[in-house]
Amino acid sequence: MSSSHGHHHDHHDHDHDHDHDHDHAHPHSPPAPDDADQYDRYEVLLQTALRELLDEKGIITADALHRQIDYQDSLTPAIGGKIVAKAWLDPVFKKKLLADPLKTINESFELDITTPLDLVVLENTPTVHNVVVCTLCSCYPRMLLGIPPAWYKSIDYRSRIVVEPRKVLAEFGTHLPDDVEVRVSDSTADLRFLVLPYQPAGTEGFSEAQLAALVTRDSMIGTSLPLSAASTSAHAQK
Amino acid sequence: MTERKVNDLGGQPAGPVCLDEHPSTLHEKRVDALQKLLTGGKLQAFTSDAMRRAIESNTEEDYKNMLYYDKWIRAVRVLVIEQQLLTAKEIDDRIEVLRERFKKTGTL
Amino acid sequence: MNAIEPRPGHALPAGTPVVIRKQPPEIHCRTPFYLRGAVGEIAEVRGCFRDPSLLAFHKPGLPMRVLYRVRFKQKDVWPEYSGGPNDTVVADIFEHWLDPIDGVKKV
Repeated sequence: MSSSHGHHHDHHDHDHDHDHDHDHAHPHSPPAPDDADQYDRYEVLLQTALRELLDEKGIITADALHRQIDYQDSLTPAIGGKIVAKAWLDPVFKKKLLADPLKTINESFELDITTPLDLVVLENTPTVHNVVVCTLCSCYPRMLLGIPPAWYKSIDYRSRIVVEPRKVLAEFGTHLPDDVEVRVSDSTADLRFLVLPYQPAGTEGFSEAQLAALVTRDSMIGTSLPLSAASTSAHAQK
Repeated sequence: MTERKVNDLGGQPAGPVCLDEHPSTLHEKRVDALQKLLTGGKLQAFTSDAMRRAIESNTEEDYKNMLYYDKWIRAVRVLVIEQQLLTAKEIDDRIEVLRERFKKTGTL
Repeated sequence: MNAIEPRPGHALPAGTPVVIRKQPPEIHCRTPFYLRGAVGEIAEVRGCFRDPSLLAFHKPGLPMRVLYRVRFKQKDVWPEYSGGPNDTVVADIFEHWLDPIDGVKKV
């Protein structure tokens, strides 16, 4: 994952209900994951209560919940990475992918992703750079990439990426020439977007695995570019 | 009713994007799984749009300050009651049982 | 594609200039405030979907509405926009939240 982005600590102030100690001074960071104090939090009690009651009534069994969690855990950006790598290598696949993404992905990777939503692949080119947001909530192609990062769901990202995309991209260490069209897609309905990054220079002759290693989650959201040909990930894949 | 709802954030003044990440906690995964199973598949107890609507009914202050998954689980509560899968009393009573369990055993 | 194709004669063609309506939002509204009154162009017709403002209240959300991907020049959306001159924003807007400019007919 790319680490070449800026990191800010001067957040706007707001109330945050802490019930535990933590080392770093981010007012809005979630409680530490394994902090036993969490069990005392209303929302954790509520989640447990709902889970137990729904299981007891046979509405959602504990087993069904486990299976759903396992399925969720299986969705990672690596899937997206494989799709992008194949699109870079295989122009016929890429054309099919752009025309009918979900069907093409299911067929080519022998997956069985079903969703009531529509998947759209946004191709980056030398003149168009796509970046995705859901200003109204947190819509994200979870069926492909898994759970979105906290920043994607944040008030700050959702507010600013539509009005000052280049400033936000700069916070990720991403800079684009002025004449490139930065195209922000706001996921306001049932479409879900996967950015197909532009293939990095000097990667001709790379294998599919080497190419997939360059595809970061953020490059498929559009806030970062893929890793360069010279990055260690690519060399490690030989 | 204002023209701009509490969740309608595009273009609002805001701060630098915090890039911190943490792996999903078990609690968060459970919230995610619950809402997915309730809105999807055979059950379809309520829609994702109903979840969004419930979350949008928070005050502006709560919407901005509450943790993401806290907004979700509270919305799930509103909707399971609205759709009569559970009653508020059942849920509240169970929470009290869980509080006692935690006091006695240190776990849930 | 999962969506349902619009019936012939019921969708504005790609390329149509449109203006987003300024009207009171539904309780659950998926047309962002920052685009109300904005002038853009239909980039793509994405088929018919159920109305989210009705689905939000457990209604069937019928009749299905045509969904458009509408592209806007950033300098047309934000008076003070200071990014690139070609920058755009694209949003997914339902037919009942926009109007064609210049009397373009549905196809």
